[in-house]
Amino acid sequence: MDRMRLRSTGAGIVVIGFLLLFPLFGGIFPILLLTEIFIFSLFSLSFNLLFGYTGLLSFGHAAFFGLGGYTMALLIQDLHLSMLPSMALAVLAAGLGAAIIGFFCVRRDEIYFAMLTLGFGMMVFTLVHQWRSLTGGSDGITGFQVPPLNLGVTRISLFSPQAYYYFTLAICLISTLLLWRVTRSPFGLLLRSMRENAERVAFTGINTKLHRWIAFTIAGGFAGVAGALFVIYDRMASPTMVHWTMSAKPVLMTILGGSRVFLGPALGALIFFLLEHFITQYTQSWMIFLGAILVPIVLFFPKGVLGTLTDLVRKGNSHGN
Amino acid sequence: MGTEPILIVDSLSKSFGEFQVLRDVSFTVEEKELVSLIGPNGAGKTTFYNVVTGKYKPSKGQVLFAGKDITGFPPHRISRLGLCRSFQITNIFLENTVKENILAPLVAYHGKGLSIWRGLNSYNQVQEESMDLLEMLGLSNKAHQIAKYLSYGDKRLVEIGIAMASHPKMIMLDEPTAGMTPQETERMISIIQRLNRETDITFFLTEHDMKVVFSIAQRILVLHQGSLLAQGTPREIKDNPQVRQAYLGESADA
Repeated sequence: MDRMRLRSTGAGIVVIGFLLLFPLFGGIFPILLLTEIFIFSLFSLSFNLLFGYTGLLSFGHAAFFGLGGYTMALLIQDLHLSMLPSMALAVLAAGLGAAIIGFFCVRRDEIYFAMLTLGFGMMVFTLVHQWRSLTGGSDGITGFQVPPLNLGVTRISLFSPQAYYYFTLAICLISTLLLWRVTRSPFGLLLRSMRENAERVAFTGINTKLHRWIAFTIAGGFAGVAGALFVIYDRMASPTMVHWTMSAKPVLMTILGGSRVFLGPALGALIFFLLEHFITQYTQSWMIFLGAILVPIVLFFPKGVLGTLTDLVRKGNSHGN
Repeated sequence: MGTEPILIVDSLSKSFGEFQVLRDVSFTVEEKELVSLIGPNGAGKTTFYNVVTGKYKPSKGQVLFAGKDITGFPPHRISRLGLCRSFQITNIFLENTVKENILAPLVAYHGKGLSIWRGLNSYNQVQEESMDLLEMLGLSNKAHQIAKYLSYGDKRLVEIGIAMASHPKMIMLDEPTAGMTPQETERMISIIQRLNRETDITFFLTEHDMKVVFSIAQRILVLHQGSLLAQGTPREIKDNPQVRQAYLGESADA
């Protein structure tokens, strides 16, 4: 058990070290690609707090990604706030939106929960798409300046891909650490117990709806962090951010990587983007290939890539002992 | 307070549409008693459990627990007042470890369910209590196993552990030895007896195995077609001609 922990800590240090040094030798395009992967890793990790940990499949998670993103864009464009205050408010908006939508969704589970989130997600999309005066409709919001990072004593420009890479990496690492803490807390154990058997948890004296609601709000808040980061990365907030196909992305990434391992969705995001990048060099119809990869994974490795790998390592360890 | 019954069931009825499953069931349970509810299949035992512990609302009647009217309360409120249940089908957290199965209700009991940022490992009292409970159930050496790989008998013990972890005043066990091998049944009986002796918990259980009922129950209630047919000590129940006719039949002396 301890040897495994030592090994994963070691692996973590190596990966983070690599990511910290990467901009020193990596080209602009890989730096941009990795930045996007960080953002979608966080988006998928936040989704998986609901899916893998609480047993709730949300088909509307893009609503909070978009809420965070649009709030960010509006604050920068209209109020010219600097980076961190706008992000804080964007997260607040996403969390608030999740609290309101979640209040209704957590009253049902399984397919009914999925349908409620899908329904709310579509409502948010329509709202964003139609409310031209606020959101710019199908054009979205563009043309804003990248706000500086104001650290009191000094202001750092985040305009260059390298600077934004480091900023995104830092925010995503902190958010991931916070999400990890949530899963290791007493609250997190109750979420996992509810995934297994919500009725039984209710019989131990826990208000399961309240716990689901809090999980939904936290997940929405962190999706908002990802959305805010994405808007600056993409230099625009567009309705595709809240489209239901965007809600499908964390679902795919999580299934690719594995929902029962904390970092599974992050690995899923990495695989997703690498595949997309390499396959689209040869063909426009990369979704066919994505499907061709997903189907065998779901059929033969339902625990996803990271889930299957950790199982193998565990088995190897117990044979070795 | 001490002399008052811990559970008072007063003319409880439950219908599903036209079909009346429970009619006018009334009885009391004293503190620290070990009472068993018996009755043939379809007598309404499981419905009775579901009505008392809050899964269903009764059509009529009242349930008082520890002096409080809990009629129609949702399960989590009833549980918080100290009335816990175990289930007829194994109803545990299969993909979690044995220890986590016990930790979840302990977290709930100690009111830490909403503690979101601090690691579970740093809650010493909860951790210690979980190990004590596993010790009492003889499951310490399986603490880190995933529950779904346990034997059937062990799963049932985890089930009782989950109920115990809520520090209940009273536990209602629904057929705790159903489907068990003779050895598993024996182990379960001795653990229930030990818990009844060594704790202040009141035990209420349904059981289809007459040997189990007559060997451990201090008092027996007989449910028949939704009504309470008789109640009394094992001796009285054995000698009750109505019960013999309606339920025990030829296996009365088995």
